[in-house]
Amino acid sequence: MSSNTTHSEHTFKLSIPDADLDLLRTKLALARFPDEIDGAGWDYGVPLADMKRLVAHWRDAFDWRAVEAAVNQLPMFTRDIVIEGFGTLNLHYVHQKSEVKNAIPLLFVHGWPGHFLEVRKLLPLLTAGSADHPSFHVVAVGLPGFGFSEAPKKPGFAGRQYAEVLNTLMLSLGYDEYVYQGGDWGHILGAHVAAQCGHKHLKAWHSNTPLSVKPTLFSEPLAFVRSLLPQGRWTREGLEASAQFARKGCGYLIEQATKPQTVGYSLADSPVGLLAWIYEKLALWTDKYPWTDDEVLEWVSIYWFSRAGPAASVRIYYEMTGGYSKDAMHMLKDAKWTSVPLGLSYFPAELFRLPKSWGHTLGKVVFQSVHEKGGHFSAHEQPDALAGDLWKMFGKGGPAYGAVSGKNGYA
Amino acid sequence: MSNWARPFTVDVSDADLELLRKKLELVRFPDELQGADWEYGVPLEDIKRLTSHWRHSFDWRKAEAEINKFPQFTTDIEVDDYGALNVHYVHQKSTVENAVPLLFVHGWPGHFLEVRKILPLLTAASAEHPSFHVVAPSLPGFGFSEAPSKPGFAGYRYAELLHKLMLFLGYEEYVYQGGDLGHVLGVYVANAYGHKHLKAWHSNMPFYRPPSLLSNPLLFLELLTMPFNKTLSEQLSAATRFRKKGMGYYQVQATTPQTLGYSLADSPIGLLAWIYEKLYKAVDHYPWTDDEVLEWISVYWFSRPGPAANVRIYYELTGGNAHDLFEGTRWTSVPLGVSFFPGEPVRLPKSWAHLIGNVVFQSEHDAGGHFAAFEQPEKLASDLRKMFGRGGPAYRVISGKDGYA
Repeated sequence: MSSNTTHSEHTFKLSIPDADLDLLRTKLALARFPDEIDGAGWDYGVPLADMKRLVAHWRDAFDWRAVEAAVNQLPMFTRDIVIEGFGTLNLHYVHQKSEVKNAIPLLFVHGWPGHFLEVRKLLPLLTAGSADHPSFHVVAVGLPGFGFSEAPKKPGFAGRQYAEVLNTLMLSLGYDEYVYQGGDWGHILGAHVAAQCGHKHLKAWHSNTPLSVKPTLFSEPLAFVRSLLPQGRWTREGLEASAQFARKGCGYLIEQATKPQTVGYSLADSPVGLLAWIYEKLALWTDKYPWTDDEVLEWVSIYWFSRAGPAASVRIYYEMTGGYSKDAMHMLKDAKWTSVPLGLSYFPAELFRLPKSWGHTLGKVVFQSVHEKGGHFSAHEQPDALAGDLWKMFGKGGPAYGAVSGKNGYA
Repeated sequence: MSNWARPFTVDVSDADLELLRKKLELVRFPDELQGADWEYGVPLEDIKRLTSHWRHSFDWRKAEAEINKFPQFTTDIEVDDYGALNVHYVHQKSTVENAVPLLFVHGWPGHFLEVRKILPLLTAASAEHPSFHVVAPSLPGFGFSEAPSKPGFAGYRYAELLHKLMLFLGYEEYVYQGGDLGHVLGVYVANAYGHKHLKAWHSNMPFYRPPSLLSNPLLFLELLTMPFNKTLSEQLSAATRFRKKGMGYYQVQATTPQTLGYSLADSPIGLLAWIYEKLYKAVDHYPWTDDEVLEWISVYWFSRPGPAANVRIYYELTGGNAHDLFEGTRWTSVPLGVSFFPGEPVRLPKSWAHLIGNVVFQSEHDAGGHFAAFEQPEKLASDLRKMFGRGGPAYRVISGKDGYA
């Protein structure tokens, strides 16, 4: 048991004060909209018609208390976690155990602009008992600075600290060995947890957003050679799309990696500004997902009502890239390659669609799966497909079966 | 329909003032990391202080009255494929009849009032130096000018509008001064109307594409020796630092200006932070007062097309970040003057100024930054007087208008 012993766990119920709801409503009533270029569509950003409709719905029809009550059906907790050099952070998480006693402990980690509720549709699929597939005890954490987790108060909370806080959380729940599923920052942090606690605690991990650096001749010779061979259409189209995204879709990333506080004033003060900033990603990064207005507003409301405020969440870009000191891939700099078994799922509407050979730079790839549908928020868009991948990877006959000793996921 | 110069006064409605007041009352601030200072963006302490001043002390009507002392007008200018755009501008004639007509063009996050300190200096009559008739417009989408409502209003459209404004005012031949996007648009005006109409121009932010082997072999070879050239590498590293750390706004504005625009239109502190970051970072120890900053931001807040329209210029000039700001332009032989100010963040090796045009005048200062006309009006005015005055390299570029009585 780690010496970073934690304090006792408290159950958590979401209960936003009336004053906060009133402030939101008042701000929405005073919303001042910009103009728009004729026929702009999505060319310049979120269309004005979408924003007006969503704001009106948020102001007049969206029922936060109903949302809150539904969220409170989930088994949620908070717990103090000590991190070296940063004192104590109070973390919020969902912890749902399976009825299967030897279910595999799994840590689910979101990214930006995601949050802990991305696990919602996966939860019943992963915890259900069955003879045909493994079950999991699922912990879905709110990253520090997101949702209802406290934010770090000092600069420098980066890869090493995130790995420590995530690992300590699992240990504090009695999971000395566990597996991990993440996308977006959840993916990047997975590489850091593997580098820091791999084999000893993290036994295998899975990512649905396989962003990585290129293989080099000396780091991954086989993958390097493979990457030089003529690339098939899937790979070529993916690289094209990645280049397009790097050129056209990364403005938010560079701003958040260099001046998170500056953009933070808008996100904290204007629900309309926050809605646009996040909704743009929900719409563009998914694969024809039929968002309802209520879904979008619930998602953005979590950010609006977050414990640390919406500005805290974007700081992760700065901390993980050293203020964009070199380039964005600096975020993987300290996540040295490990032989911890790794599974990768490729969804077609993902932002960076890199060649499969590049995945080998992230770790020991034991599982790969290519899908026809789905985008960046796969747990929310394609929960069956994602659960299916985890079942295959960790199930009987799968490449990571029995990764956690004594907990193979079956009754 | 006849076109005319309609006198204009800034007159923000009481309703607009009241909305701002209400929003400032309801401000919700973010948290901040301990000891963050300027590392992560604008410090919380600055925004809190400025917000409080804006709420309790800043007097917009007083600022408005001062602004209205400048002779302002609006007029419709027809731009091909865009119809008529109503353009707002300051037009101050000198008492010297044959003063040199000068078009002063602001950039982002600038505005027409950047001309305010240099205006009396340029229009003043003297035997010692030339005088100018000054035209300082609000670019379309900024200040009190209309914004284009159709897509694709790029560099040559701005140039066309600016040129037609000068023609409308009776200035067949004119000169030009600009920095920031004012410099960029100067390149377009020189390309489209150089020699025939634009007789000479001046930039306080001399910047263009880097040299390539085919276009400028000598400078390109110099670039290759950069690791061994201390001066060149120092100059480039300052520019690189800005590019790395200070260009988030550019990337957002060139790709998703509308998404950003919702924040700028709805949140006064969001707008304040976005612009104040540049006002603070791009100057050379300029002692901004809170009133000065808030007046500057208020012009954006109360702008005619709203604060989201102006950031679109980055998208239009770059084709949505498909190319650089100078697409479709090249070197011209129109006489060009450049002034180097030490605090200018967009700084390239001085030799690269020759990539822009026919440099006939160069000046280097030991003080001043990006907003040269506002920070160092005397120095900038002095440069223009030297460039266009008797014995200067652009003296009498406009026949019959040498700037002297």
